[in-house]
Amino acid sequence: MPKCLVCYKWTLDEQDIKVKPEDLSLDSSRAKGKISDFDRNAIEEATRIVEKQGGAVEALTYGTSAVKQSLKDLLSRGPGKAYWIADASAEHADASVTANVLAAAIRKLGQYDLILCGEGSSDLFNQQTAPRIAALLGLPCLSFVQKLTVEGDTVQATRKLEDSTEVVTVKGPVVISVLSEINKPRIPTLKQVLGAAKKPNEEIKAADLGLKAEDLQPKAVRQSVKGFVMQRKNVIYKESSAADNVAKLTVSLAAEGLC
Amino acid sequence: MAGIFVFSEDSALAKQLLTPALELKKSLAQPVTALALNEADAKELATLGADKAVVLESGNKWAEGFAEAIYSQVSGAGASILLVGGTLRGKHVAAYVAAKLNAGMTTDAKTLKIEDRKLLATRVLYAGLAVGEELVALPAVATIRARTFVAPPAAATAGVVETVAVEGDARVSLGEVTSTSAAGVDISAATKLVSVGRGFRKQEDLKLAEDLSGALKAEMSCTRGVAEDEHWLPIERYIGISGQTVKPELYLAVGLSGQVQHMVGCRESKVIVAVNNDERAPIFEAADYGIVGDLYEVLPLLTAALRK
Repeated sequence: MPKCLVCYKWTLDEQDIKVKPEDLSLDSSRAKGKISDFDRNAIEEATRIVEKQGGAVEALTYGTSAVKQSLKDLLSRGPGKAYWIADASAEHADASVTANVLAAAIRKLGQYDLILCGEGSSDLFNQQTAPRIAALLGLPCLSFVQKLTVEGDTVQATRKLEDSTEVVTVKGPVVISVLSEINKPRIPTLKQVLGAAKKPNEEIKAADLGLKAEDLQPKAVRQSVKGFVMQRKNVIYKESSAADNVAKLTVSLAAEGLC
Repeated sequence: MAGIFVFSEDSALAKQLLTPALELKKSLAQPVTALALNEADAKELATLGADKAVVLESGNKWAEGFAEAIYSQVSGAGASILLVGGTLRGKHVAAYVAAKLNAGMTTDAKTLKIEDRKLLATRVLYAGLAVGEELVALPAVATIRARTFVAPPAAATAGVVETVAVEGDARVSLGEVTSTSAAGVDISAATKLVSVGRGFRKQEDLKLAEDLSGALKAEMSCTRGVAEDEHWLPIERYIGISGQTVKPELYLAVGLSGQVQHMVGCRESKVIVAVNNDERAPIFEAADYGIVGDLYEVLPLLTAALRK
């Protein structure tokens, strides 16, 4: 019966972030928090495995003090217990800091058979957390998983890559990142929402993780963020002769290596 | 610290990585080493400006399993920068190596340069809503997606080629591999798309777009109207805010105006081409190349030209 840990991120809902036209800066003042989309798939997958086979699902998150807002939603989605690390370092954390903190917390929590993450977060989409945690913990990593089967300590995953799918098998423990297509996360029922309030949650202090100051220093530092403006070449052929236009377009496509 | 390393299991992408690597070499004055999974790739990379190309040779062919060997090469040389081709396999490898190096990593860098002895990279954030700049301390890792750069021309002198025997990841056993490129239903994996809108007058006329798709080896996608209102193509093929999001190398939009709800699903395409008879259609602002003209005249000509 597998013991699962899901790592999740509490992010701003990007749907609520607006680009200010005057200076292309971002206005997130109206943005609400959410459990990052792909992490919901990881939570759902772990919960389904445990509902079917027994075992346990716990969840772990690292963020600013805002992570506390995530606990009720998280626990209504299936996990039996939530661990949370609320630390000011998360404000500017890059993927290396996040992985250092999560890996240290996992070492402290003990052994899990499956450690699941979403393939990337909906805000930064670094897609680094699962392989980084695996590297730090010395565990194998199966990334970009669209189908997962657990039998005893054997974990079989179908990974979906750009041009192929592949079936890979490992003996647990293993770190897994899931794709959104692996399942459709449940909408918690009223009973599950009410039940969430009775489930335990526990704070882990970043200071108790035995990390060096350097481990909490981001190596990749955000310098500037600007709203996206479509930058396209806008080469438009509009001669009266369609044949001329087509000839020019064909040359352009060839120059781009597209034909 | 010395050395700029590049790695991609994708031969074409590996060559493209040499372009930013050679740019960074000008700033850092450090040699470029290309890591490859076979000798043919390594030899070619050595002719394109890599000072050295190393073949990582293992009986275990799972590309992600080479991450540990790549880490050994990069850390052994005390390298400053590792550029990895931004395929999904590449991202897995890059993040693994970055963690072992305790290094920062930029995912899908669009531009790279050296500033203050650090790597300054630009990248997309918030599902494309924004673009950010990241300054990454050395050693730094970055992934770069296909066609962000074009491969460099042949160098005056070829670099040396070496072969190193390495271990794969024996914990992971690779089973069945299924190619999905020919399946055709998953348009999100297509590298080229011909996307149709209601500029087509009737369903039979989509044959023109099918022929063009055939000539380009592209898949077909469409607007919401074509799928949900006309039912000319299956729902899985429509692009937009409530439909599919795609990032093909080529998005060729025919007879569609380019409403924002549609464009959000395809605006990260590498190259967008538009064919539309309305010069004022918003699709032309979102296009790299376009033809203003009647699709019924343009498409057969374009199909014929591409078949040559």
